[in-house]
Amino acid sequence: MKNKKKIEDIPFEEYLRKLEKIVHQLEEGELTLDESVKTYEEGMNISKICLEKLNKTKKKIEQLVIEGEENYSTKPFSEKEGEDAINEF
Amino acid sequence: MMMINDIETKIYTVSKLNKYIKKLFENDFNLQDIWILGEISNFKLHSSGHMYFVLKDQESQIKCVMFRGNNCTLRFMPGDGMKVKVRGDVSVYEKRGEYQLYVKEMIEAGKGELYLAFERLKEKLKDEGLFSEEIKKKLPLIPQNIAVITSPTGAAIRDVLTISLRRFPNLSILVVPSLVQGTFAAQEIAKKIDFLNKYFKYLDFIIIGRGGGSLEELWAFNEEILARSIYNSKIPIVSAVGHETDFTISDFVADLRSPTPSAAAEMTIPDKNNLISNLSLLRSKIIRAFKRNLELKTEKLISINKSLRYQRPENKINQYYQYIDEYSARLSSRIKHRVELYEERIKKDSQRLDSLSPWAIIERGYSICRKIPGRGIIKRLNQIEVGAKIEVIISDGKIFSKVEKKEVVSN
Repeated sequence: MKNKKKIEDIPFEEYLRKLEKIVHQLEEGELTLDESVKTYEEGMNISKICLEKLNKTKKKIEQLVIEGEENYSTKPFSEKEGEDAINEF
Repeated sequence: MMMINDIETKIYTVSKLNKYIKKLFENDFNLQDIWILGEISNFKLHSSGHMYFVLKDQESQIKCVMFRGNNCTLRFMPGDGMKVKVRGDVSVYEKRGEYQLYVKEMIEAGKGELYLAFERLKEKLKDEGLFSEEIKKKLPLIPQNIAVITSPTGAAIRDVLTISLRRFPNLSILVVPSLVQGTFAAQEIAKKIDFLNKYFKYLDFIIIGRGGGSLEELWAFNEEILARSIYNSKIPIVSAVGHETDFTISDFVADLRSPTPSAAAEMTIPDKNNLISNLSLLRSKIIRAFKRNLELKTEKLISINKSLRYQRPENKINQYYQYIDEYSARLSSRIKHRVELYEERIKKDSQRLDSLSPWAIIERGYSICRKIPGRGIIKRLNQIEVGAKIEVIISDGKIFSKVEKKEVVSN
């Protein structure tokens, strides 16, 4: 198959489109039993991937500190007002 | 005397005079392509599309006309009392003998130099293709890592953080503090865009912006250096400069423009709850459709099974058994019938046979003569010789005798 691409490289919206296509295929009801089982499983799998994609990133708010042309570091964003904003979450 | 002499020597027509005066005006470069500041009054927009008005200051006024071909690019509608700067030529309207200003360009006086610079840069960059829609990069639906270049203090960064994290709680945001106004602001923002492109290639996009302000305060976002940096950025740029009516140059070059930093967050960060409920909707649709498919298949199977049952082999065999039973019953009854028929016939035949039996005749007094030896029945005289032995069969026995004599009896 053409599953060469890594899951991480395929954007969320492409998976979403696939899901919509699967819904359509199943709703049309013209699949054989084998096909519909396969399609169903693919749909469940993709919806799992989508959810994982949504939860993949960790919340992080950092501030970039540039130290010259090539050096930099990051520190937690801690500007007074910014801090207040963060604490609201 | 001079006058009289002149008139005697040369007499002009009015139109010739006006034509001459007009030439004087047009040959004077001090009156061509000049900027004049003034206030509009008596403004009239003719149905032809041309604009007629008077430009005045406290002491003086001049008639103006701005033809449709020139005023069609105006970004505002002039009106009485409006202070404007106009560019044009002073010339003569020969028909009336009036000199007037032929306006080619008009800007609102309040906008000043910056506005002109803006317009010029905008035209220039537009011609270079920096605003072209085709080169705009698409933002991913689910951003994971974003950067915000803005002032680290103030409402802009707070709004972006608040809204972004409310919409998508697990987001990685890199705040890149920067000046956003003043002489060095544009250069600094541009440098930071370049820096992020070098060391933070993985970013989904960069929001650059600041809260609202005057044209001067927002000026950094109208500078060429920033425009070029946005254009060169491999990471998509979202322009988020607070302003209500006009756009900034950054807005035109950016891959996405938004009217405020908050709007930028709203536009670029998806609502995670929405996404999840959309996902679970799709999921339940899939489950429902799959179940429905299974039900349909099951129904079909049941109906096939039903029709198959009629064609089961055991049914066929049972059917044959029944045939056999039926036929054998029919057969045996038929045979029985036959047998009875034969019995009857035999009975009849044997009765008839009885009546034909020689014994029955002998009973009635007839007898049978047979030769000895040979047992041949004697029917004619020539069958026997005189002296031969014969037996005579009668009803209850035999009489053995000897032939004494033969005699022909005629009937």
